[in-house]
Amino acid sequence: MSTRGQRILLWTTPAAGALFAVACLLFPVFSPPLSPAMPPEEVAAFFRTNVTGILGVVILCNLIAGSLVPLFAVAAVQISRTATSSSVFTYAYIMCVGVSITAFILADYCWGVAAFRPERDPQLISLLNDMAWFFFIAPVGSIAVQNLCLALSIYLDARPDPIFPRWVAHFNIAIAALLIPGAFSILYKSGPLAWDGAVSFTLRLLVFATYIVVMFLVLLRIVNRQGSEREVLA
Amino acid sequence: MNERVEVADNPAAGTSPSWRRHPKLDQWIAFWIVPGFFTLFGIVFVPLSFMMPPRSPGSSTPEIVGFMQSHNLLIACAILTLSFGLAPITNACYVMQVKRMSVSPVFRYTIIVGATTGAIVGMLFPMFCFGLGAFRTGYDPPILAMLFDFGYLAYIGSLGCFCIMWMAFGLAILLDRNNILPKWLGYYTVWQYLTELMAAPVWIATSGPFAWDGLMTFWFAMALYVPWQIIVYLCIYRAIKNQPVHELENAQFVVASSLPATRPTAHA
Repeated sequence: MSTRGQRILLWTTPAAGALFAVACLLFPVFSPPLSPAMPPEEVAAFFRTNVTGILGVVILCNLIAGSLVPLFAVAAVQISRTATSSSVFTYAYIMCVGVSITAFILADYCWGVAAFRPERDPQLISLLNDMAWFFFIAPVGSIAVQNLCLALSIYLDARPDPIFPRWVAHFNIAIAALLIPGAFSILYKSGPLAWDGAVSFTLRLLVFATYIVVMFLVLLRIVNRQGSEREVLA
Repeated sequence: MNERVEVADNPAAGTSPSWRRHPKLDQWIAFWIVPGFFTLFGIVFVPLSFMMPPRSPGSSTPEIVGFMQSHNLLIACAILTLSFGLAPITNACYVMQVKRMSVSPVFRYTIIVGATTGAIVGMLFPMFCFGLGAFRTGYDPPILAMLFDFGYLAYIGSLGCFCIMWMAFGLAILLDRNNILPKWLGYYTVWQYLTELMAAPVWIATSGPFAWDGLMTFWFAMALYVPWQIIVYLCIYRAIKNQPVHELENAQFVVASSLPATRPTAHA
């Protein structure tokens, strides 16, 4: 048996990534990102004037929310191939993916409910918008741990011919370090750490996009190599 | 039906208290929890709380307040937040069959992530929205209306996590060479899930066929979903029943079994 299943699922990533990129660029809330300092009346007015754009992206993201899961699942399979004493990091990695996707979907729903009836009390629209930003920017803990699980598996891989190149571990740790400041976005209403700031928003999204592209290419090479080795999968 | 299973699988089971030694007891326990779980859901959703069929998104404020503050709704939320833990059992039943297939673990990992996420965004979160509304009297009606919207939208409009889960399930069936589940079920699952996606407009429409209580997004989607769920379930039943004993994870401890090996299996 070949690695056909892994390759099929892996190749859904470019389409998923493209859809997420489109969603990000079209989302009115992101261009420019709404300031956390915006008073509730202005937030409500913003949602009233941008209902179509917001709901369109919310629906798109609702449909594609899980579409990066196959990429992470392939990563988990490859983590399980590294020569460590147990599958502890594989399972931790999978659970982290589930938690991260949950937070993303809830952010999407909060924006959706806010735009569903924009004539709601401005206080509530503002609350939903804040909740969405919290879910979207702050829960970086799971992504960071996910990356650390991958990095540790690579460092501890006892194979003479390791599954992952060693730089992938350094890369994952660097990415985790760059994402972590986002957790502090809930402490600030302005500046680089606020959710519309250079670190919590711009850098975070760019870093995440880079991460997906790089991991896709890395995993593609690993899966192809696995196929040529005709190795029996666990 | 349970009796028949045991007799068919293990002739000795009917005559002695050794049913606990039934080699597939774990799988049958998990399997028979599923109809119990769905029945409980039906009772709680329909006659207890009248949460389903869904209230109209265009309900008037007094209607929303009356519904959100009913004591039965709070009881329903308590029962559901208790029993939603059984949803993972249901999904684990499917994952066990995918595990037997000659496909990469990547498929079951994807299903596990989809199922985990789905249980929270599609079940726990909406139940908490309804529960929070029913918990305390005296909230302003606009707050109750927001919780009402959030509850129904999350409950009926959750698609992405289930989409990825059933796509992985369908694809695994199609790629599998051990014929654990029939190929047509793979095509049926993919087709079924694509039709479920027509529930996406619930996020836009506040009335008409595409609102969350609409003809297309609720009634038609249910008419397609319920038969499919039952068919998947029957196929899973056959798959568990037909699994040869020597393939079980406890095979080395099973002594008194007479099930013959039915087919050779390939491993991924």
